[in-house]
Amino acid sequence: MKKIPLKKLKEIDRILFFVPLLLTITGILTIFSATRPAFEPSHPPFYIRQSIWLVISLFAMVAMFVFDYRWLQRLSYYLYGIGLFLLLLTIFEGYIGMGAQRWLKIGPIRFQPSEVFRIILIVALSNYLQSKRSPIDGITFGASLLLFGALPFGLLFKQPDLGTAIMLFIISASLILIYGVKRKILLTTLALVLLLSPLSGKLVWHSLKPYQKNRLIAFVQPERDPFKIGYQIEQSKITIGSGRFLGKGYLKGTQGPLRFLPEKHTDFVFSVFAEEWGFLGSVFVLILYLVLVVRGFETAYIAKDSFSTLLATGISLMFLLYVFINIGMTMGLMPVVGVPLPFFSYGGTALVSNFMAVGLLINIRMRRYRLFY
Amino acid sequence: MGRRTVLVKVVVFAAFLIILFRLTDLMVLKHDFYQTIARLQRTFGRKVLIRRGVIYDRNGTELAINLERPSIYCDPKVLKKPQRVAVKLRDLVGKSTKEIMQSLSEHRRFVWLARKVSPKVARRVESFGFPGVGILPDTSRFYPLHEMAAHVLGFVDIDNIGQEGVERVYNKELAGDLRSRFNRRVYLKRDARGNLLYSGVDFESKGNSVVLTIDQGLQAIVESALDRVIEKHSPRAASVILMDPFTGEILALANRPTFDPNEPGRFRASNRRNRAVTDLYEPGSTFKLVMATAALEEGVATLNTRVDCSSGFIEVAGKRIRDHHRHGKLTLKEIIQKSSNVGAVKIALKLGPERFYKYVKRYGFGRKTGVDLTGESPGIVKPPSQWSGTTLAAMAIGYEVMVTPIQVLNAYAVVANGGYRVRPHLLKAVMSKDGEILRVINSGRGERIISPETVRLLKEAFMSVVSMDGTAPKAAIPGNSVAGKTGTTRLIDPKTGRYSYKHFVSSFVGMVPVDRPVFVAIVVIWDPKHGYYGGEVAAPVFREIAEKALAYLSVPREDNLKEHILVYNDLEGMEVVR
Repeated sequence: MKKIPLKKLKEIDRILFFVPLLLTITGILTIFSATRPAFEPSHPPFYIRQSIWLVISLFAMVAMFVFDYRWLQRLSYYLYGIGLFLLLLTIFEGYIGMGAQRWLKIGPIRFQPSEVFRIILIVALSNYLQSKRSPIDGITFGASLLLFGALPFGLLFKQPDLGTAIMLFIISASLILIYGVKRKILLTTLALVLLLSPLSGKLVWHSLKPYQKNRLIAFVQPERDPFKIGYQIEQSKITIGSGRFLGKGYLKGTQGPLRFLPEKHTDFVFSVFAEEWGFLGSVFVLILYLVLVVRGFETAYIAKDSFSTLLATGISLMFLLYVFINIGMTMGLMPVVGVPLPFFSYGGTALVSNFMAVGLLINIRMRRYRLFY
Repeated sequence: MGRRTVLVKVVVFAAFLIILFRLTDLMVLKHDFYQTIARLQRTFGRKVLIRRGVIYDRNGTELAINLERPSIYCDPKVLKKPQRVAVKLRDLVGKSTKEIMQSLSEHRRFVWLARKVSPKVARRVESFGFPGVGILPDTSRFYPLHEMAAHVLGFVDIDNIGQEGVERVYNKELAGDLRSRFNRRVYLKRDARGNLLYSGVDFESKGNSVVLTIDQGLQAIVESALDRVIEKHSPRAASVILMDPFTGEILALANRPTFDPNEPGRFRASNRRNRAVTDLYEPGSTFKLVMATAALEEGVATLNTRVDCSSGFIEVAGKRIRDHHRHGKLTLKEIIQKSSNVGAVKIALKLGPERFYKYVKRYGFGRKTGVDLTGESPGIVKPPSQWSGTTLAAMAIGYEVMVTPIQVLNAYAVVANGGYRVRPHLLKAVMSKDGEILRVINSGRGERIISPETVRLLKEAFMSVVSMDGTAPKAAIPGNSVAGKTGTTRLIDPKTGRYSYKHFVSSFVGMVPVDRPVFVAIVVIWDPKHGYYGGEVAAPVFREIAEKALAYLSVPREDNLKEHILVYNDLEGMEVVR
């Protein structure tokens, strides 16, 4: 827990610092445009709140790289325990919003434990895996999958937050696989999954909430869409498609203000951006995300120990997955799962946790040389 | 970690490539499709309220005006307790509860509950204050004189768009130019919930007023004369047109049967038809004008050329054409006066097809006159190449040719005005809603088509028709000279397909006073009962109209006029002295 000397500040990776900042500022501008009032008397203050959250996030990010990550590594299991407890608490004490209990109220602040839990999960799993030899054996595989995959999945599924539950499960499983699993165990698992998939498919289907079922139906068979869930996807596609090459211009989009596009400042904020900035602007944003993800994986590659490698890989995977799923969803490539676009979508807890994740990447990059100890 | 690094790289780039492809697909390739949907779903077209201009007669009498008649609409989505609303509105709008409920259950954001109610009813509905029920200003067209000049005026539909007559022909003037407004709608921005963004949108289209050449006084004279014909002869139909031969201004136009343009739907389509310009008939003897003009212009005959008509019939290509009486030898003037078919045919045969046809075309038969009314027919005139052996002879006496009343009138107008082509029309001026004259129609005369000498001779010949020895002494007017021609044609019996011996078209076309006619007029009566000769049925109608019209227009009697000219000459003499 040694502080870094101030003159080492130039060691802060500029790409990892500025790319998320640029994305967030673009996001705030887009939120401002998306929530422009057409009929309401005033402009809803989402863009102001998000700006405040950005300031908080920057402090959180700095906090994440000021101290050596070994501090985090040592505390990871305790944090994981607390995280699981908060998820459990949300199920019973959660604040209900949009048909799901995803928020916890602490005094005046509401926050989504699942958003912070993402980071804790990756930290804890990385710590667990680095203590085992790669490739891991069957017991470790089973234990890690149960503890870091199935357990959080179950808790999140119960909230219900199917989107995050699936995302985190994919991240955990991918991280375990990337770390390395003995071939025999891998093949057995694969065979088992294939055999059980019809049964488990049925099991999962029956435990889904009606709105979740509708979303899946809407995705698989848009023409057989009894509850007009496809409306969201359709409107999102219209929003993006009407942007054309150069876009309609900032503050010229109509789909958001005229309320055709639902969730315009949260899950579908990318559509609003694409409508106004066109294909060119969208590709620019995509490149920013690509740079961020590639920089993250590169950080993992050059990291000095297996914990930090795993941690950086996990974080990069998380960003990749969230970006791909969210943008894929806005373009009708994915079912609507309610996953926000990192740095872009409105949402305080998510913004803070994403910047915390970036802070960890910066941390790992700063301390990649042994002489830093 | 080597293989894993490659795997990660592949996965990362694959993910971004998939997104890039889809982005290109949506934003570049399918752009137009999504752009169209976006545009359609955020616009809402509302029909423009049309405040039509007034239609005036030439003296400023209002023939068509507007009444304030608000419409009641509803947004069923906002509406609460539709059952209550329906019961409350039932008696006010004159619809059943069921009908109203049906409108209220429509899945639209805009439904008419009642259109064009009285302002009183609208105020009452407004006072209920039902959410979702609103009042829009609207007008309904009102024709204060009801049937008067119905066929000239035409009528409008519920959206105040002209459907027939002047209302249709000058819809652009009367309704305002709606071309710039696609589908006659104003497009508003709307949001997904159906809220409309009204910002400086003008829903009203105000049109200009139109002044017609119609003289309401003359129109009234014509209408009442027609009413009397109907009473006396109960014909199937009748048409009268009065026109200024020098300008082509139509002074009056009426048909029977007729309709009330305030409620056009209550009448049959045949009542609404403007027979004076749409209906075809064989003109019969009135068409002898063509033969006479051709003979005089081409030098084939003079008024005194004698033709032997003593046999009472003539055989052309195996068909007999008869006269009503045997006449003996007749001059061309007498052929016109007594309407001898034999004489007309003989002169036409002497002219030959080409020379005869030249004057058929010159008078404008087989071609629309271009009058500014709806549904004008060009008539049917076969070119000589399609003529049979009998056609020339038949056409000489007005058969095997189909004309409209206005075409015949237009031909006689040429004689009346001294030989010039003229275009019949109804529009005199266009006036802005503030009464400023925007445009006056200059009714200049057209090119000369008959020589002055021929005009003089034709007038002399056609004046003899109304003499005691002519076919239409009943068209004569004391104190004023009349020139004209009768026509009596057999109608084709639809059952046999042959000319009927019971059903006729009687017509008279004439001008008064002959030297400088104030008007030309045509009376066409289809299938009259109790008499059928043009001189018996149509000529008296002409006389009645002409007599009253001359009095109405304060035209001095010609016998008095001679004295006036003397006085005038004296005055001129005095001026010279001074």
